[in-house]
Amino acid sequence: MTLASYDWSLVWENRTELLHGLLTALEVSAVALVISVVVGLVLAMARMGKPPLSWLAVIYINVFRGVPALVSVIWVYFGLSLVLGINFTVFQAGVIALVLLYGAFISEIYRAALQAIPHGQREAGLALGMHPMRVFAQVVLPQATKIAIPNIGSMFIGMVKDTSTFTVIGLLEVVRVTQNLNSTTFQPFVLYTAAAGLYVLAAFAIDFVFRAIEKALATPPSGRVSKALTHRKRRRLEAVMLRLEALSGRT
Amino acid sequence: MRTIPSMTHPGQSASPRGQTASPVRGEVVVRLEGIRKSFGPNEVLHGVDLTVHRGEHVVIFGPSGSGKSTLLRTINLLEEPSAGSVRVLGVEYGPGLGAGEKRGRALQLRRLVGMVFQQFNLFPHLTALDNIALPLKATKRLGRSEAEEIAARALQRVGLLRWAAHFPAELSGGQQQRVAIARALSLDPKVMLFDEPTSALDPELVGEVLAVMRTLAESGMTMVIVTHELNFAREIGDFNVFMDKGLIAESGPRGFFDECVNPRTKQFMAAVL
Repeated sequence: MTLASYDWSLVWENRTELLHGLLTALEVSAVALVISVVVGLVLAMARMGKPPLSWLAVIYINVFRGVPALVSVIWVYFGLSLVLGINFTVFQAGVIALVLLYGAFISEIYRAALQAIPHGQREAGLALGMHPMRVFAQVVLPQATKIAIPNIGSMFIGMVKDTSTFTVIGLLEVVRVTQNLNSTTFQPFVLYTAAAGLYVLAAFAIDFVFRAIEKALATPPSGRVSKALTHRKRRRLEAVMLRLEALSGRT
Repeated sequence: MRTIPSMTHPGQSASPRGQTASPVRGEVVVRLEGIRKSFGPNEVLHGVDLTVHRGEHVVIFGPSGSGKSTLLRTINLLEEPSAGSVRVLGVEYGPGLGAGEKRGRALQLRRLVGMVFQQFNLFPHLTALDNIALPLKATKRLGRSEAEEIAARALQRVGLLRWAAHFPAELSGGQQQRVAIARALSLDPKVMLFDEPTSALDPELVGEVLAVMRTLAESGMTMVIVTHELNFAREIGDFNVFMDKGLIAESGPRGFFDECVNPRTKQFMAAVL
């Protein structure tokens, strides 16, 4: 067989199904990412806190970092649903499976980021009379999040790839679509290469988005998106300065 | 530039610069009693008493590791004393308080005390203006526009209003420290603590920060200053404290730098001045 005997036109003919599969994968991953960041943050704080909570966090993190996505989704779809008596949809099961794994990963990313913030930041907040929770929420956390963002982006790419295993519960993601097409056309090389292409495309897109977020969070912000965002803020500042000048001019 | 005291106060022609604030002792603002502090098995403060009166400028100096920064930091409870009590105006923090009570008391006490750090500790993710506006919103329940107005005024007072929209990374060390001073002052503290405020600055930038502090001292603010700038200390200190090995070795009023008798104090000053 030569390369020419592969029927690449199949990919274009079935583009709607394939892209729909990718969209499903991105949807599951995006919902899971948002929840995972929250879960990860809570786990990180538990781990940095006092025993026995910190021990539980350590055990959880080390177990779920080691579990493959395939096992996680089978546990959730065929196990957890029985235990809880809830019939999860495949979409819900996929999200929960990802959160179980990536909550553990992201908690470690957040822990490193939180520990990277100089102690003086917290002290300054406290010395200014701010409540410790407020210091955490408005001084430490925003800075830690900025540090964590690039790694969270990598986690997102990993999540999208891990959705490929959710074909076992019948989620219509990229691999499931590919399998369906293959069962009628018998062109696995062509179809799986196309699938890989879609994952790479998604990775590029995610990287682009996270770079834009990074730029927007830089101090001072750079990039077009962030400049548009900070424009309003700058206008408000100018108004404050003008008002003040007018006031001090009068007295 | 500031005018020489003799020009504005004819009666004080012999007094050195900065003695415009009355040395008459007013109300007690800070009282530390029997402060001990241990880090693990290592005790760094061995029972220190210190009283600061309204309008007084207390200077603390001494060798590294003598406990002067730790002592300063117990005043706003950034270091919790292992023993002894801290009182700022009506708020007392000491042994016998429950855990929840301690938390509330610490918050209450810190709102009476402003602090300026060696490393400035501005919030790098916020503009100069927001650095000041955030604690105003957080502690005084002010709305955004009100907080920003006060913040802008505070920046104006230290001559940095046109830097309001800039981030700390875009400012020089001296400018950052001035923003930090403005931030602390905007909350209307009853006493200001300075923890080696010029030690991290390029020599060229020390002057602008000292000028702001000098103006503040002249306005009658109660100040406690840990510093290695002994010339500044001599000029500004109403009460001077030399610390060594976790204790106050010697202390005295204005003129202390020329009149101290403790050989350790003399040795230190000979080495530094």
